Amino acid sequence: MSTIALTAPAAMPGAPARSSGYLVLAPSCLVLTIFFALPMGTMIGMSFMDAQTLSPTLLNYQRFFSDGLSLAGLYRTAVMSILVAVCVTVLGYPVAYYLARSRSRWRALVFALALAPELAGVVLRTYGWLIILEDRGFINDMLINLGLIASPLPLSKNLFAVVVGLTHVVLPFGILSLTTSIQGIDPNLERAAQMLGASRLSVIRHIILPLSVPGIVSSLLISFTMAASAYATPALLGGARFKVLATMIYEQVLFYIDWGFAAVMAIALLIMMLAISFLGIRYETRRGNRRSNREGEAS
Amino acid sequence: MNRVLTCLFWLAIALVLTFITLPLAVVVAASLSPSSAVTFLPWEWTTVWYGNLLADRWLQPFLLSVKIATVVAGISGVLGVLAAYAVVYERLPGSTAIMAGLLSPLSVPQIVKGVAIVLFLSIIGLQGVLGTPALIAAHVVLALPFVTRMAATSLANFDGNLDRAAQSLGATKRQRLQHIVLPMIKPGVLSGVTFAFIISFNNIPLSVFLVRPGDTTLPIAVINYLEYSLDPVMAAVNVASMIFILTVIFLFEKVGGFSAQLHGGSK
Repeated sequence: MSTIALTAPAAMPGAPARSSGYLVLAPSCLVLTIFFALPMGTMIGMSFMDAQTLSPTLLNYQRFFSDGLSLAGLYRTAVMSILVAVCVTVLGYPVAYYLARSRSRWRALVFALALAPELAGVVLRTYGWLIILEDRGFINDMLINLGLIASPLPLSKNLFAVVVGLTHVVLPFGILSLTTSIQGIDPNLERAAQMLGASRLSVIRHIILPLSVPGIVSSLLISFTMAASAYATPALLGGARFKVLATMIYEQVLFYIDWGFAAVMAIALLIMMLAISFLGIRYETRRGNRRSNREGEAS
Repeated sequence: MNRVLTCLFWLAIALVLTFITLPLAVVVAASLSPSSAVTFLPWEWTTVWYGNLLADRWLQPFLLSVKIATVVAGISGVLGVLAAYAVVYERLPGSTAIMAGLLSPLSVPQIVKGVAIVLFLSIIGLQGVLGTPALIAAHVVLALPFVTRMAATSLANFDGNLDRAAQSLGATKRQRLQHIVLPMIKPGVLSGVTFAFIISFNNIPLSVFLVRPGDTTLPIAVINYLEYSLDPVMAAVNVASMIFILTVIFLFEKVGGFSAQLHGGSK
């Protein structure tokens, strides 16, 4: 995604002032080196060090794999992120299909409703879900008032609440990537199938779904990575009863002040994210290869 | 059969849109509710909670957030344009690698960047800069790649013939930059800068490590408060900050941001 700018022809032939070119590049490089590259290096170094004596050790990693809590946190993070990815893609698909195909004047409204919450910021939306899901919140209050339940249902401070909150946070991004993909499918294929007598259901099953697999994959990947690295929503909706890697890292740094171990957890999260992105890139290149092979055969 | 499917389709869309708007509606309702316990939909309403916004407790973090977001937008705007200019316009050797380096922070989760920065500052003995300076530096690292990418895309997409025409008519490089290149990429840069402002203003995962007591940004003040109380003041604070963000977007839009870019930036 980042190479678009570079493959397009540059505006102007390279000017002779190469040195001034490097000079204007310097501030960005300096800032990123001091506040990104060096900190990342320090963090990786710290993960191999004893926090007190600063002598090299593998104990932090050993602890991560043996204390039971950390791997459980990693597992919870993965389960939560997979659930969010699936929910976002399933909920986003009908809306994306509508946005991609509709010509009606309601389209703009649906588009605004689907994407505007993104501007509201994560805290406001998470706060909304807190009010709705809390023990004394909107839903429990209503059910108790109606006499349907005697004691509040456990709707907050658990996996359910975090998945609901994160699905809400990530949904606009899922809808955007699905919409782009569905827009790329030729609508004539659907029309042709319908004319030949295919039912709506078989058009969906045999044409739309298979052709939008790339969009589905990218929606799943975006949602997974966004969910796995989210901090505020799991912190507020999961609380102390449902901890994921992001909130555990925060605790290690600010409460236990165990930097080496915090570094290991951060690296675990980073590796999980990079692995998922790598799968995505490999899927993309494979698909690209298959397509160019097919075109090669056709010509 | 087909009719059932169509009905299901509309039902699904309606449900998803309700799901998306519900929490926002609930927060707005809570901010106007006269009862201090945020429970049911209010049948009467009041603006009394909004009166609390001017208390130091919320005003200080708000002003700090605005200050930091403004500085971050300014710094990342300038640095991003310079970097994009060097890589795309001057086409320095090794631009692909340089660009990959400039965009690399995007592939690291914010919380990991936050840990890394706080560990680094502590190790080199600069815990003293936690608070505003550290927040600004961290937010710039976060925003800069986005601004660089938007500026680079604008630079790569604009019609180079305009520039060449000006050159053949004898315009100096300085004149071309001032009268052609900068105006052409202005919409892209402005949306990048707006974006930088918003991600700094709303940021939690980096700020949470870098704030200092008495030097807290608004979202952090809000989540700290939410840990022990859900009262309607929070709803008022949240609604007010959303209105603020929408105003900022509207103002930048007026100056020629998003929609100008959507129309191809060809003004």
